[in-house]
Amino acid sequence: MPMYGDLGNKLVQHAKRTQNLSHLPPYQTELVRAVAREIRDLDKDVAILLEPFQGSFDPSAEQATACTLLVNHLSMRRNKRCLLAYHRTRTDKLEELVWNGADVLDLAGQTTGAPKGVADGNEGSGTTSSLSPQEEDYFRQFGDLLALYKGQWTDIDLTGSLEPPRDLFIDVRVLKDAGEIQTEYGAINLTKNSQFYVRQGDVERLIAQGYLQKLG
Amino acid sequence: MSYYDIDAILTDAEKIPCTFQIDVPDLGYLDNQPGHTLKSGSRVALPIWLAEMLAIANTGAVDMDDPSQSSKSFITFDLPPALGNDVVQALKADPRSVPLRDQSAHFYALATHMMELSEEPELSAVLRKTFVSRAAEIALHARKVGGGGSSYHGREGGGGAGGKSKGKATKEDNASNLGVGGAGEDFLRGLDEWERKLFRSAHDGTKASKEWMENVKKR
Amino acid sequence: MALPLPPGLTQNEVAFLAEMEMVTVVPRQRLDTIDLLSGRTPQLRPPHRAQLPLWLALLLKKQRRANIVPPAWMHPASLAEIIHRETKEDPEAFSAPPPPPSRALYSQPGTARRLNHHASYLDDFSQTQDSQQQQQQQQDILSPPFLPSNVAESPAGYLPYHWLEVAEALLTHAGDDMPAPAGEVRSLLRDLVEVRAAKMRSSTSALEGFGDAWLTLRGVGAMELAENRAFLAGLVDGVRKIGASAEATRREEEEEARRGGEYGGDGDEDSDEDMGL
Repeated sequence: MPMYGDLGNKLVQHAKRTQNLSHLPPYQTELVRAVAREIRDLDKDVAILLEPFQGSFDPSAEQATACTLLVNHLSMRRNKRCLLAYHRTRTDKLEELVWNGADVLDLAGQTTGAPKGVADGNEGSGTTSSLSPQEEDYFRQFGDLLALYKGQWTDIDLTGSLEPPRDLFIDVRVLKDAGEIQTEYGAINLTKNSQFYVRQGDVERLIAQGYLQKLG
Repeated sequence: MSYYDIDAILTDAEKIPCTFQIDVPDLGYLDNQPGHTLKSGSRVALPIWLAEMLAIANTGAVDMDDPSQSSKSFITFDLPPALGNDVVQALKADPRSVPLRDQSAHFYALATHMMELSEEPELSAVLRKTFVSRAAEIALHARKVGGGGSSYHGREGGGGAGGKSKGKATKEDNASNLGVGGAGEDFLRGLDEWERKLFRSAHDGTKASKEWMENVKKR
Repeated sequence: MALPLPPGLTQNEVAFLAEMEMVTVVPRQRLDTIDLLSGRTPQLRPPHRAQLPLWLALLLKKQRRANIVPPAWMHPASLAEIIHRETKEDPEAFSAPPPPPSRALYSQPGTARRLNHHASYLDDFSQTQDSQQQQQQQQDILSPPFLPSNVAESPAGYLPYHWLEVAEALLTHAGDDMPAPAGEVRSLLRDLVEVRAAKMRSSTSALEGFGDAWLTLRGVGAMELAENRAFLAGLVDGVRKIGASAEATRREEEEEARRGGEYGGDGDEDSDEDMGL
């Protein structure tokens, strides 16, 4: 016989799984709705129980009712905690993805386990988004906030590599056309298969994204 | 921020045996009898988040048989079977051979939570020794699996979450892994959540050192 | 998250910092002093030895402009002695770190000085000691990578804090400068790594008993710390949590006893037992 709080538990188990994954699994809309429904039902029960007393309820006189009220109250609190923790875990993950430079298109067009390429974007072929609409909004706004913060410094990329530098200048080969970049020696046009000797700091992002390959 | 802590929430879902001290008409469903009254003296397994508060909450009524006593609570509770005497004795005998995960995936979290509710000095001492001695074993396995000493690489490829968080060795792992035989596999399978985190820390450390050493050439 | 790294340094960061250690080089070409942030490098006039930071030494070695003299502790005989000490003489503790150079100036053996008269660590080893600079920078140098533990004159038989990083760097990029075949030194180092790793694991047994306990990490190297930090911290934290409620009870009792003694009354008067619904 399912007990109050079981649905909430399922949500939290989803959250636990999410913590260990590198991407965000689909938002559990139905489960979230069911938990919220359970809270509303419990609240109704409490109102029904208290109705006859008309505001003057004495717990020591009506111990059984007091016990039932407490159980309902605790169940509501438990469900609330599960809901909040689930959403919090997901937003933590979203923030982590933003810091790592994820694109909103990557996530929105994602189905379970199969991330699409940057170019594909959101197809209308019935692909459900992994994120709830509110989460997509959160993701976008957080991304804007981060961009605003980063914009204060032109010399430092706050989302750049955390690895200590090895060589100042490195040889790189261009794997895909990456357009033009600015260096202290002028602009370089990164066309496929060409090789350059450049400052590591200038090209770190492009290496991480797969446009360039470090040689040697 | 333990309110949002997923492991704390999951630990609180574990059930402990409780005994009701009063009749409650509406709570029959807790004992699989919806619609019936839950009688005083009934023994029901309730999740900690519920039992904890019901045990502490004061009914406000005075115990008629003994008015000098402080007021009754709705339930009393006992330690869960996972922390029962046979488990404790087994741990005293050989902590490394007990698969804690079979008792509870959140064994240590469960135990520490229960110890907050009631004093258990013997349990505390046994658990400390258990934790430390198993941790040494975990470090050993983490090093072997992480490639320290041997040239084994397989673990990292085990699918991001699945491989690391479960700590399980696959058939491939056994073939090339020296020293981690069936017993090692069993041990790792029996780790609870706290121990898995330790394993992950130890393994990540070993792996990073190995990577660093290999990369020295590439400077 | 903004900073996904765990607390403490990663192995790469430790290695990066280790490159600030001073080593002895034998220049093959002349080089004038370079103005660095911490001071000026010595003039390089072959065949006179000089002391440079490791990163600069490695750069010059790559460009074939200098050879690096490995520190005495890296000699196979020294390493074998250390291994012997770690396994036979004292299987519990890690081998002691090198003695601090607070008294003697390495570049001028035989001269003892008072502690507070240190110059910047670079000036200490450069031939061109500017007395004005010496007066300006008077700090006690007491921690790596500023201790001179990897120069040619450093005492043998002791593992300095950055032993693994410096040894690996020298073996990889200056293997031909070794007094013995690089392979021999490398295998001795591997043995040392394994012995000490095992020792680290078994040292945790100190935490098993009841009450206060501690792990002695004296003599542990930087890389070993980076590797084990997360594990040891997790272990100690777990022990803390297991004992937390017993500890809380003990403190309450102590507090009550104190209060009872001070006020001479019943400490129970404010107890919270009557907590209604």
